[in-house]
Amino acid sequence: MVSNPGLAKKSETNIKLPLSFILFGLGAFVLSQLILFLNSDALSNGIFRLPELLMGAHFLLLGWVVMVIMGAMYQLVPVAFLTPIWSEKLGFIQLFITGIGIVMFSLLLGFNLSHAVYGGIVVICGILLFLWQMVMTLISQEQKSIMTLFVTTALFCFLITIIAGLILAWTISFGLSLNYTAILHSHILLGVAGWFTLLIIGFSYKMVPMFSLSHGFSMKWSKLAFFSYTIGLLSLIVSFWLETSVLQTIGWLFSWIGFTLFALDMIEIIKKRLKRKLDRPFTFSLIAIGYGWLVHSTTVFLSIFSIDHQNLWSWLTFIYIISWVMFSILGYLYKIVPFLWWTYKYSGQVGKTKVPMLKDMINEKAGTLLFVLFTAGVFGLTIAGLLQNKVAVQLFQGTMLVTSILYALSILSVLRK
Amino acid sequence: MDLTKQVEEVLYGVIDPDLGINIVDLGLIYNIEIDEKNGVKVTMTLTTPGCPLHDSIVGGVESAIYFIDGIDKVDVQLVWQPAWSPEKMSPKAKEMLMR
Repeated sequence: MVSNPGLAKKSETNIKLPLSFILFGLGAFVLSQLILFLNSDALSNGIFRLPELLMGAHFLLLGWVVMVIMGAMYQLVPVAFLTPIWSEKLGFIQLFITGIGIVMFSLLLGFNLSHAVYGGIVVICGILLFLWQMVMTLISQEQKSIMTLFVTTALFCFLITIIAGLILAWTISFGLSLNYTAILHSHILLGVAGWFTLLIIGFSYKMVPMFSLSHGFSMKWSKLAFFSYTIGLLSLIVSFWLETSVLQTIGWLFSWIGFTLFALDMIEIIKKRLKRKLDRPFTFSLIAIGYGWLVHSTTVFLSIFSIDHQNLWSWLTFIYIISWVMFSILGYLYKIVPFLWWTYKYSGQVGKTKVPMLKDMINEKAGTLLFVLFTAGVFGLTIAGLLQNKVAVQLFQGTMLVTSILYALSILSVLRK
Repeated sequence: MDLTKQVEEVLYGVIDPDLGINIVDLGLIYNIEIDEKNGVKVTMTLTTPGCPLHDSIVGGVESAIYFIDGIDKVDVQLVWQPAWSPEKMSPKAKEMLMR
């Protein structure tokens, strides 16, 4: 019997739900890398808005990143917010609709662009169900925290991102007399910096101290980091619509300040850790914060000196998504998946028999090698892309493809433990 | 051996699977009470509220105690006050974390 139900209520989600999202995500990840590899020529020419690349990009962003984040949230929200998921049944319905929608939408972007809007509508239905689920879950949270602020704002940005995405798809299909470029830039900014970054920052305030067993840290910059980052985002959105470069520079500067303050909090947490030797994949997620900060710094530099070379900004967006967003996810998945499988197989045996440790569930050494390969692939690809060297782009995108396959296999190997 | 000691002994077998350290050395067990009917009440905490291993560890405590002969009832009280701090760890646990 467990008493004090307010604090000790059951917090685990049925692992089939987060795991299904993650497995879908792994498949989409490998597929996206294959599509990008097959279109290496377009990548090396810096033409990112080709149907095939749009298809690869949406398998990567929606199929891999968004689906994995949704799955991770189904597992993390109940434990981090001490609030059970509102409806697991809705979670499975949402998984099905979103999954079908992403496949439809990405394929239509690649093969029948003018009808992509129909796939987009299905994706939006799935995402709206997810947002509804999260809102209903977070409303019931008893004690709100700075993490709640980051996560709810990220969810709001996600909503605006998909609305902007629908307008873009609608414009392609039926034509609309709106400012297409401003909507596109808002869509990318809110999707990448609003949704992904705010969410990762929010959860980092919980996960980094937890995985490093940190104690006595202050989180003193967290509120300022939030307001600075969101002011930066707002300034950028307004600057896209009013086309004012000064406001754009202010926007990049504020978002850099926000990210820097977050990074300072993370440094303090790591300095005050009790666990001296950190798990290697987790270290990889921490390194990703450094990459994110470097990209934010570069945006300020480019903006101040009015360097608006389209190709450079496209590659910068790419490197931000991969080195910050995706690397964070790759690292955390090496913790989340073993935990999910361990909970499923061994949780009920604790105290009854000897059970494996979490680090026995996954090959950390192989993981380190994969992370090094990913890093080499991403940075090599970016440099090759900027130099428009076709052979090098193919080589490094090939590295990304092979590494993504090996990464997916390494995650799947956990399920055999 | 007295029952309180026996309970403490079995709790050494409940290991935090992330840290690889048992929950007694981690300083998570605050109090063990035995009533006249051999009912056990354990007051314990976790290193952080919202620990994902919450259910596994609490369930592990119950299971481990029920292994002792003659136990009638187990009541695990999870509390956040006083909050866990590194000072509550044994020297052995501190040393393991430093490795």
